[in-house]
Amino acid sequence: MKAKQYSRRSFLSKLAFYDQPNLAGANKSLVCIFLRGGADTLNMLVPYGMDEYYKLRPTISIKAPGRSADAVLKLNDLYGFHPKMAPLLPIFADGRLGMVQGVGSDNDSGSHFSAQDQMEHGESCKHSLGGGWLGRHLASRRHPRQTPLSAVAIGSALPEVLRGAPAASVIKSLDDIKLNAPAADTRVVAAALAKLYQAETALLAEPGKTTLDLLKRVQKLQQKSYSPANGAIYPDNTFGQGLKELARLLKGNVGLEISCLDLNGWDTHFFQGGASGLQADSIEQLALGLAAFDKDLGSVRNRVTTIVITEFGRRTYENSSLGTDHGRGFTLFAIGERIAGGQIHGSTPLLSHGQEVDLFGPAGLPIDFDYRSVLSEILVRALDNRRIDCVFPGFNSQEVGLVKRSIV
Amino acid sequence: MALNRRDLLKIAALASTFPLFGCEKVTSELTKNLGQTIPAKFGTAANSTVDKDFHLLSRATYGIWPGDLDYLKTSGRDHWLQEQLNPQKIDDGACDLRARRFETLWLDPGTCAEFKKPVLRDELVRHMLLRAVYSKRQLFEVMVGFWTDHLNIDVNKGDAIYAKAFDDYKVIRPNALGNFRNLLAASATSAAMLIYLDGKENRRATSDAIPNENYARELLELHTMGVDGGYKQKDVYEVARCLTGWRIHGDWKRGQVYFDDAQHDNGTKLVLGHRIAAGQGARDLDSVLDIVCKHKSTANHLATKLVSHFVCESPPPELVQKVAAAFTATSGDIRSMLLVAFNSPQFDQYPVSKIKRPFHFIVSALRGLAADTYAHSSVTEYLSRMGHGPFEFPTPDGYPDQSSYWVSTLLWRWNFALSLCSGNIAEVTLDLPLLAQAMGAKGVNGKSLQAEKIFAHLVGRKPNAHELEAFNCARKSGAKREAELAPELDPELIGLMLSSPAFQRC
Repeated sequence: MKAKQYSRRSFLSKLAFYDQPNLAGANKSLVCIFLRGGADTLNMLVPYGMDEYYKLRPTISIKAPGRSADAVLKLNDLYGFHPKMAPLLPIFADGRLGMVQGVGSDNDSGSHFSAQDQMEHGESCKHSLGGGWLGRHLASRRHPRQTPLSAVAIGSALPEVLRGAPAASVIKSLDDIKLNAPAADTRVVAAALAKLYQAETALLAEPGKTTLDLLKRVQKLQQKSYSPANGAIYPDNTFGQGLKELARLLKGNVGLEISCLDLNGWDTHFFQGGASGLQADSIEQLALGLAAFDKDLGSVRNRVTTIVITEFGRRTYENSSLGTDHGRGFTLFAIGERIAGGQIHGSTPLLSHGQEVDLFGPAGLPIDFDYRSVLSEILVRALDNRRIDCVFPGFNSQEVGLVKRSIV
Repeated sequence: MALNRRDLLKIAALASTFPLFGCEKVTSELTKNLGQTIPAKFGTAANSTVDKDFHLLSRATYGIWPGDLDYLKTSGRDHWLQEQLNPQKIDDGACDLRARRFETLWLDPGTCAEFKKPVLRDELVRHMLLRAVYSKRQLFEVMVGFWTDHLNIDVNKGDAIYAKAFDDYKVIRPNALGNFRNLLAASATSAAMLIYLDGKENRRATSDAIPNENYARELLELHTMGVDGGYKQKDVYEVARCLTGWRIHGDWKRGQVYFDDAQHDNGTKLVLGHRIAAGQGARDLDSVLDIVCKHKSTANHLATKLVSHFVCESPPPELVQKVAAAFTATSGDIRSMLLVAFNSPQFDQYPVSKIKRPFHFIVSALRGLAADTYAHSSVTEYLSRMGHGPFEFPTPDGYPDQSSYWVSTLLWRWNFALSLCSGNIAEVTLDLPLLAQAMGAKGVNGKSLQAEKIFAHLVGRKPNAHELEAFNCARKSGAKREAELAPELDPELIGLMLSSPAFQRC
């Protein structure tokens, strides 16, 4: 017992050494973009080289490269991008954008909520865990420099994925962060609030304290105005503006480690469209936003990894309302210096109607990689997490190859 | 104003016909005349723990309007509950004057389509907020909110907004305290729901078409049985088959719901082990509703949600059982379920265990201070900022009812409270001196009594030593700006009380 305690302590001290950030604000950072509603990634990374694709989607498929102006943008002999993904081509060519085919969870309920929750919690549907996977990641790396700005969600409510984080903030824009008291009284009001929330022991104690800390830190950033670098132009929508705020924080060296941003509107049961239409508009928002973000990050790009996930893919065949219903596997997109980009990992044969497990149950792309294998690889190799068993306890991760091994 | 009541009514009628500047002022005078004001004198809670009647009010209403506590104490809990559970008998004229001024609320979906979407959204949201603040039928409004979440429709999807007002006054409001099956039946054929969950796209399977399962799934998962309610994937598909053929007219009948036999799957179905014979057409819907409403998972799911909302977020199983039994015994009478919950011994055991959701927080602040507002964007903006804009939750599960979901909104709560009390929310006015006077918090007894009374009015108990200390340290700064108000009244101090942890709870 004694020996065990000793070894545990020395183990912990090692951990503390590894987790110490070199400089305040120079941490490696992960941006997690969630496409809410179950994105039809089959029309984003299009397997134009498979005849089956065109048979399954007579109306909503994207034409093979060269067939017309709005055809697939060729990546290799099998796959190409949706035409609205064009802004991301240079990042792919640069070897920093990579894709994994056939990612998904063991959740076959077909429910958005159940699948989103599970994916954000980072659990199996048979065994639920406390908090979100990014919350557990942050908790496993808890170090003294962690602040309310270590984890930021752009939006209006804390996403499930950040539950359990030692501190997290939810904002729409950086300028939002101030106290509406007459300037001269701000400090007095803040002091009184601090006193009131200090006495709390339950649910409100921690949020009270972190909100007050956050106010102080952001005040400094607000004093400078922000213009994106390298001529980056963000699209004028909530998603684009959210990415801009994230770039501002990342470059502001406030110790941002994890950020979350949602893009809604992927539940395309009805009239999804092809090269143009409902889904194409969403793809355009995503691609323009990510391209601007990548440009703007400039010199801090080497420490930022961005991933794009969704709760499930959609079925391979279109439905009678020219849309697609809930499926299973999806394509995961990732951008970063550490990403083995310029290539597509895994391969997914398309299934035809007859081959599907259950025609009326959630079918679609089969799953080759449990989503936790991909997330583990990102946390371990791109964010240097050394306690991955605290994030995905009991999970045996499988090699994906999406993230380059670090040179030790 | 030197006008009698009849003159005022004439002016109000005129003013509501023409949206003239000043119309709101006239309405405010009129509603004051109808009793929507601060009573001359009212009592506040006197104990150091939360008053039991205050607890009932903070769960069964959107917050205490000055005088509400006295009224409940005088009439008794049973009488008060009976009154609230029979809202049609409560005169709500003063609230109507403020809330019924919006023309698009009473139009059918086809006519609403003539309006711009932002106008429709604005009127819907303002109506919802004004009813919550001013209605005397408080429990009814709370239940309207509950069912609006339960049968959530995001007006940003497709053309749902054209049909949401109709859904509100034809589906939710007539049934909010009625029978659950009636509510569900109305919802199933509501144009807004058919748009939101793709029901209107759901047609029988043909060689190249498959039914759209979206609504069928949420009907089972969210509206009735719950995700673990025991239905199978196959049941979702069978329910979807039963509900094929419900469509919405275009053209001159735009927005009207009809049943299209040609698109309906008229075969035999098997739903949750019950066989539905072939050839029943539109009656398949009734069969589905009967099957799911009689299922014990539905009773249990609804009881769990109601108990979690009104009593405790980790619902005591024995109370859930009792409420579920009331559902089953009355075939879905909502009032009976509520009575069991409110009258249960468990009800009083969990005071202040919940955090108000942002809508509740804002409404309770406006009610507590008897604010004069017409719910302009200066107020509703705060709701969207906190992620709680009415009718805008994107997914069908409705705004979460768990406290932990909402705790990251503190900064906006503080800012709303501080701005409200210092008069910095446009077009909202308060009469703090009158309020202080009516609760006897003004004058002779000194400053600490004032703070105690106002705090007790807002949170149902006297402040503890720690809270008093915090208020005292803030008071020194505000002193210089008080000149025009009563000398001892500090608006910032009230803002701080509304920002305090105690006021976030309910």
